[in-house]
Amino acid sequence: MWCVPATAAERSDLKVHQSPNRAPVKIVKVTAERFAFSPSEIVVEKGTVIEFHLTSEDTDHGFRIIGTPVDVAIPKRRRGVTVVTYTAVEAGRFIIECSRPCGAGHTAMRATLIVK
Amino acid sequence: MSSLNKLARLNFLAVCGLLWAGGPALAQTPANPSREGVPTLSGYMELHLNKEQAQPTATDLHRFVLMIGHSFSDRLKFWSEVEVEHALVEGGEESGEVAVEQAYIDLMVHRRLNLRAGMVLVPVGIQNERHEPPTFNGVERTFVDTVIVPTTWRDTGAGVFGELGGGLSYRAYVLPGLDATGFSADEGIKGGRQQGARADASEPAIAGRLEFRRGGLTSGASFWRGGSGFGLTRLTIETPGVGVGSLDARYRRGRHELRGQWSMVTIDGAGDLNRALQQQSGINPNVASRLLGAYAEAATRVSPNAWTHEVVVFGRYEKFDTQNRMPDGYLPLAEFQRSAVVVGATYYPDPDVAFKFDVVRARNKSGVVRAPWQINAGIGWWF
Repeated sequence: MWCVPATAAERSDLKVHQSPNRAPVKIVKVTAERFAFSPSEIVVEKGTVIEFHLTSEDTDHGFRIIGTPVDVAIPKRRRGVTVVTYTAVEAGRFIIECSRPCGAGHTAMRATLIVK
Repeated sequence: MSSLNKLARLNFLAVCGLLWAGGPALAQTPANPSREGVPTLSGYMELHLNKEQAQPTATDLHRFVLMIGHSFSDRLKFWSEVEVEHALVEGGEESGEVAVEQAYIDLMVHRRLNLRAGMVLVPVGIQNERHEPPTFNGVERTFVDTVIVPTTWRDTGAGVFGELGGGLSYRAYVLPGLDATGFSADEGIKGGRQQGARADASEPAIAGRLEFRRGGLTSGASFWRGGSGFGLTRLTIETPGVGVGSLDARYRRGRHELRGQWSMVTIDGAGDLNRALQQQSGINPNVASRLLGAYAEAATRVSPNAWTHEVVVFGRYEKFDTQNRMPDGYLPLAEFQRSAVVVGATYYPDPDVAFKFDVVRARNKSGVVRAPWQINAGIGWWF
C-alpha cells in the first residue's frame, strides 16, 4: 500500500493502493455535480483494482472514501480528470463524500462503494 | 395545539438523534484527522447593473454570502449560509437585509435515511436549493423562482433525507407555516415567509422533494403543504391552508442544456383572507386562490472546445401569473398576469466566475399598466 501525490495539472494520477497480484483494473467514471456523484452507487468484487476517473460538471469537488486514504480533489468543469486507483481489499460498504465545500447541499453529497 | 405537539415531538426526535450521534457509535468510522475541527469557508457574490424602462440605471451588490461548514465527525456535519443583501443595512430603514439562510446539523445515519435539523432551504424547484450564481443563466433569478416559488425560501425545521438507489433521492422536512398577512397580489406568498425569525409554528407545514438523476438528466417533484397563521395580527377567520407543487427538469448533453419548471400555489380561503385584511387595513390585497408559473430555457456553449474560457448563450420563456384563479367576488389584476422572454449570454473565464448580460421583454394582460423591458448585466462568483 502506498501513496503518490498528484502532480499533473490536466490529469492527476494518484495511486493509493497497488494490487499485489496484478488483478484486472476496473475503470469507473464518476461525475461530480452540485450536489451528487453519478453514479451514486458503485459495486465491485473484493480484490478488484478500481481506477476512478473523476470529472466535474461545475466547480471543484472532493472525492473522499471514508475509512481509506483516498481523498483527492476533482478539478472544475473542463479542467481535467483526476485518476485515482484503489484496491478493494476489504468487503463492506464505504461512504464516498465530497470533501471540498461546493454549495448549499454539500454535506449531503455522497455516494456508496459496495465491495462484495 | 395538536399540530404544535406533533411538531414538538418531531423536533424532539431529531434532537435525540443528534445527541445519539455524539455517542460511541461514531468510533466505528475512523475520521480523517486532517479535516476534523477545521471549519471551511466558501461563499458567493452577485453584483448587478439593472436598467428598467422609465427608471434610472441602478447598480447593486445584490448578494454577499459567506458559507461556513464544519465536520464534527464523518457522521455529524454543520453547514451555514449568512447573506447580506443589497450591501447596506441601516436600522429602521428599508434597504438591505442580513439573513441566516441556512444553519443546520446533518446526522448521517444510513444512505437511505439521514436526519437534518436547523435552518433549512425549502426543497421546492430548481433555484431555491441551487442558487450559486454560476449555476444559472440570467443576471436575476427566474421570475417563477421569485414570485411563484419565493426564493430564497427557508425556515427552521427538522427532517430526513437520503438516497433510494437507482438515481433517486429525497428530502422531507417539517417546518413552520406561513404568515398569511404578508400575502399579496403581485408576489403571492413571498411576503408570508417567516424565515426562522421567531416563527409561529402553530400551523406547521411539511415539504418534500423526490429527485431523479441519470446521465445528464436531473428531474424533481416537490411539494409544500401547510397552514398560514397571522403573526401578531388578530383575524377572526380560519387560517388559510397553502399548497405548493412543482415539477422541474434539467438535461445536459455536450454543450447544450435544457431546463424547465412548472410551479403552482393554492391558497384556501383567499376570499375570507382578503375581506379580513381589508377590514383591518382598508386595502384589499386581492390575494388569489391559485398562482401558476412555468418556464422553459435552452442554452448552448458557443465557444470552441479548445478554449478553457466559455461563452454560453441562452433564451428563456416564462409565464408567471399570481392572479391565476381568484376567489368568488374578486377579479384578477391583469397587470400581474405576466410573461417574459429573456435572452442573454454568460461568459465564464473560470467555471466559478460568470459575467452575465441579458435583455428582458416582459408582458402582461393589462391594457393600462405596461410591463417594462429591462437590460441587466452582472457578475457572479463562487469560491
